[in-house]
Amino acid sequence: MEKLKQNPIVKKLGLNRILLVGILIVMFVVFRAVLGSKFPIVDSIKSTLNYVYFLGFLSLGVTFVIATGGIDFSIGPVMFCCALISGYCMTSYGVPCALAMVICILVGLCFGVFNGWLVSYMSVPPFIVSMASMNIAKGLASVFTKTQSVSWPLGSDPENGWFRNIVSYNGFPTGLVIFLLFAVLCGIILYRTKPGRYILCLGSNSEAVRLSGVNTKKWRMLSYIICGTMAGIAALFFVATYTTVQPGYGDQYNNEAIAGCVMGGTSMVGGLASIGGTVIGVCIISLLQQGIMAFGLGKGQQMIITGIIVIVAVYADVSARRRKN
Amino acid sequence: MTKKRKSVLSDQRFIVLLVVIALTAIFSVMSKEFRQYNTLLSLLDFSYYDLLMAIGVTFPLITAGVDLSIGTGMVCYALIGGSLIRNYGCPVIIAMLVCVLLGVVIGTLNGVLIGVMNLPPFLATLCSCMITRGIGSLFSATPWPGLTQEGGWFHSIYKLTIGSGRSADRYPIGFLWMVLLVLLMEFVLNHTKFGRYTIAIGSNKEAAALSGINVKFYHVMVYVVCGLFVGLAATAYAAVTPTVQPGTGAGLEMDAIGGVFVGGVAASGGYGSVLGTFVGIYVIMLLKTGLPYIGLQANWQQIITGIVLIVAVLIDILKEKKGAH
Amino acid sequence: MGEVILTMKDIDKSFPGVHALDHVNFEVKRGEVHALMGENGAGKSTLMKVLTGIYQKDSGSITYKGKEVEFHNTREAQDAGVVIVHQELNMVGDLTVAQNIFIGREPKKGFRIDDKKMIEDSRKLFRELNIEIDPREKMHNLTVGKQQMCEIAKAISHKAEVIIFDEPSAALTEKEIADLFVIIRDLREKGLGIVYISHRMDEIKVITDRVTVMRDGGYVGTLITAESSKEDIINMMVGRVIYEDPKQHSMVAPDAPVVLKVEHLNAGKMVQDVSFELRKGEILGFSGLMGAGRTETARALFGADPKQSGKISIMGKDGQLREVTINSPQDAVKYGIGYLSEDRRRYGCVVQKSCIENTTLATMEQYTSGLLINSAKEKEVTEKYIKELATKTPSADQLVVNLSGGNQQKVVIAKWLTRDSDILIFDEPTRGIDVGAKNEIYKLMNKLAAEGKSIIMISSEMTEVLRMSDRIIIMCEGKVTGNIDISEATQENIMNKATRNID
Repeated sequence: MEKLKQNPIVKKLGLNRILLVGILIVMFVVFRAVLGSKFPIVDSIKSTLNYVYFLGFLSLGVTFVIATGGIDFSIGPVMFCCALISGYCMTSYGVPCALAMVICILVGLCFGVFNGWLVSYMSVPPFIVSMASMNIAKGLASVFTKTQSVSWPLGSDPENGWFRNIVSYNGFPTGLVIFLLFAVLCGIILYRTKPGRYILCLGSNSEAVRLSGVNTKKWRMLSYIICGTMAGIAALFFVATYTTVQPGYGDQYNNEAIAGCVMGGTSMVGGLASIGGTVIGVCIISLLQQGIMAFGLGKGQQMIITGIIVIVAVYADVSARRRKN
Repeated sequence: MTKKRKSVLSDQRFIVLLVVIALTAIFSVMSKEFRQYNTLLSLLDFSYYDLLMAIGVTFPLITAGVDLSIGTGMVCYALIGGSLIRNYGCPVIIAMLVCVLLGVVIGTLNGVLIGVMNLPPFLATLCSCMITRGIGSLFSATPWPGLTQEGGWFHSIYKLTIGSGRSADRYPIGFLWMVLLVLLMEFVLNHTKFGRYTIAIGSNKEAAALSGINVKFYHVMVYVVCGLFVGLAATAYAAVTPTVQPGTGAGLEMDAIGGVFVGGVAASGGYGSVLGTFVGIYVIMLLKTGLPYIGLQANWQQIITGIVLIVAVLIDILKEKKGAH
Repeated sequence: MGEVILTMKDIDKSFPGVHALDHVNFEVKRGEVHALMGENGAGKSTLMKVLTGIYQKDSGSITYKGKEVEFHNTREAQDAGVVIVHQELNMVGDLTVAQNIFIGREPKKGFRIDDKKMIEDSRKLFRELNIEIDPREKMHNLTVGKQQMCEIAKAISHKAEVIIFDEPSAALTEKEIADLFVIIRDLREKGLGIVYISHRMDEIKVITDRVTVMRDGGYVGTLITAESSKEDIINMMVGRVIYEDPKQHSMVAPDAPVVLKVEHLNAGKMVQDVSFELRKGEILGFSGLMGAGRTETARALFGADPKQSGKISIMGKDGQLREVTINSPQDAVKYGIGYLSEDRRRYGCVVQKSCIENTTLATMEQYTSGLLINSAKEKEVTEKYIKELATKTPSADQLVVNLSGGNQQKVVIAKWLTRDSDILIFDEPTRGIDVGAKNEIYKLMNKLAAEGKSIIMISSEMTEVLRMSDRIIIMCEGKVTGNIDISEATQENIMNKATRNID
């Protein structure tokens, strides 16, 4: 094992990530072997990817917040709120599709600013802020849409159907390309830019960073803003895949997004984050979701399994940290 | 150091009580319909389960933890109880006991994850929130027996109906039980070892441990007691909800936790009061019931609860900041 | 004074790398107040921790009330009647006084806790002690002095026969100290044995009957207070060890300009009306005993903690001294101040990150070309400093947590050097650093001073102060009690001022 860890290729890729990819492949093979034709290879990959897109953006966003040692579990409802408000603008007020997309992202940004300001400048505990803004997002969406579900234009729509190309263009998975581009971008921000450096460092030791003359409040807030904005982008991918959104939902995606993040090796205590891990983690969660559906099981089982996965992943992280100290 | 100010006027609980009275007055003046006995009756009906959850979650909040699984947990237990009655012919009393027992089991699980395995409370209970929601959605929507059906007697625990049909007289005796329970738990909080150590854990866990207290045990017990009350809440929920829907319950914890914070629990732990929770919940309930009467959609209530929660916590944080100087 | 109640004989205790107690002897008689004195790190607290069961001794014997005993935890010691009143108070702020005194052993009446009895018993305790505290008051509403009294009451309620006070007066006002002494005398009357750990010479003279002095983990001797002078005690504390090459005279040019001027700085109780000047190329030593307010002064100056008043002037690049406002570390860093904390793991570096990330933490903007961090440049600079400061690390990518204390310190120094800070505050620069690395840090500081940087060095080690400083400021209880040139400094002289022995 030690020898394997020292292998330069393994070191470069990270043992964790290799293991996660292994899990991913094994899961796929097992599903295929057990379910046979009920788990068609191409279609399953397609539907898994569709799930990966929106969940991936949520997960990438929340990775930044968790890296600072905080938490945001309002992202699911915020995502729905973005899609509902902007979609309603389009269907009821005739706002052009492109503008609606911008509004969608802006709504997410606003939630990010709100959450970040409360957490870093007003010192409200993150979980309370999450709870409150989860409610506000749900309420706002319901009020705005008068509790109606909103459907974004179908691909056949001559005027606005083009926006679905963000997910797939004539069968080409543009969504995958965009998602991976964003993942790379997030990686660059987190590891190669000043804000990312500060976010990681303050998650590890906020006081030492402050005493180095860094405005920790500002950068902590930024992580929440990134998270909110990503929820806005996630909303676009959600509607481009599933068309319709209903007010009052979205909580379950919080947990799935956090699960993807924590499985990928981002520590809940802060300071350690892996974008690559998050990407693979999200793939695992999405594949699991497809597998459970193919087994004929429902959302219920999926939620239970996700819940258990998070507990196990966090406990592994907590006890690994304790052993180190 | 200033002399202690112990006047009733500076007690948050008293101020909140004034808010309750003021809200009642405002709604009564603004809406004729609000002034009717039936409104009061339904307000009380729907307040019981919220209040029971709130009493329970007051204890984790005093330890500076939280239980996010109370809403979905309650619905899950009510569903299981209902399906026991409908599908297995289980007597209602047994179903009620099962609800309470399930509450205790999930509470213990939360307690062990948090108190023994040291997971962050919001994360552990977010997972158990998902798990209970998932388990809940495995059951189909099953109504508990109606008032006139066999086993319908349990409705009378919360609302005594004399006569039948439209002319029946209904008395909200549930409120009496609530008052008694609140007094009992206020007593438990202030005059028993369990209550005292709950406060000690929230105020200074280390000092509590150094004083020779079995901190782990009491930390687990805090969540067990919380679970117990969620189990009780499930029976109250079943009594007022014609058909318990699977997969619901998310968001209900907000009303309860919001009420506790309005009641003056300290965001950093160490202080709280069940009496405060009692009045706090009625602020939330009045908003929930009253707003539609003055022409605001019910969904505004969600937004307002979110804002109320943030404001209540901010007041506490600002008070503490002021106190520190 | 009555018969001997407690005897500690030949107590020996080692920690990895440190011989903390070297065959120490100590005894307490009934009805006496026995002072335990020594410089920081002399082993007083360790000895008391061995006594109360927090640490286990390696060898030696403890005889208590005529029987040989060994306590395995504080609970056992408490039950036997040996109680310690800690310097940091261990109280649950949100509970009342009575609830705190009886926490963990509440009297019960059926299901409920018998609060009435608790309050009654607390009242009785307070009456015995002649203290006026309402047992129903919440702990956090009391002053530190009153909280201390509650700790004492709690100790007595354990039927204590030996009470150890670990620097009880550190956070008390004059009035509270007077009250405390009344209580201590009263306890002495009642025949209890009292151990009193303190740094304050005047208190020792007032309250104690005997003094035992420790130095470097060893037992030096015991004196009868009334028969000995302050000088006797101080001499025993500092000993006759010859310190390695103390600096003979200041290395600062007589015409060196003032780069930092602090006037009437006030920040809480620990920083009262502090004024001093720092000149270019000077190493200004801050001496004093634990809790004298030196770190607090540095943190207030650096903007890490809020201050109430005071004027800070700093020399700008044009050589003019100008008043500046420092409200946050950001401001301080902008004006060219760097702070190296005594607690490197908590405040100094982000230990879970690499040398590179720590080195460039304060100067990130210099390494961002456009949007991205120029990691090549970052690495180059870090490696340059690794070489320059002779930091021992396998690579610049190494996590700081894997480095030794001395090398961690060098990484922090590098952080401030990349920032080109002109004023460096070293708070206990060599704490937890082994001897060889110490010398390197000293050399480095001398080199920095010679290059024209100005250094404030807070140190509790007399050797360090005498060896490094050009001038020494001595603080005691938040006030500056001395400001002397190195040529006039002696250990006695400094210790005198640090124990607030202003005649």
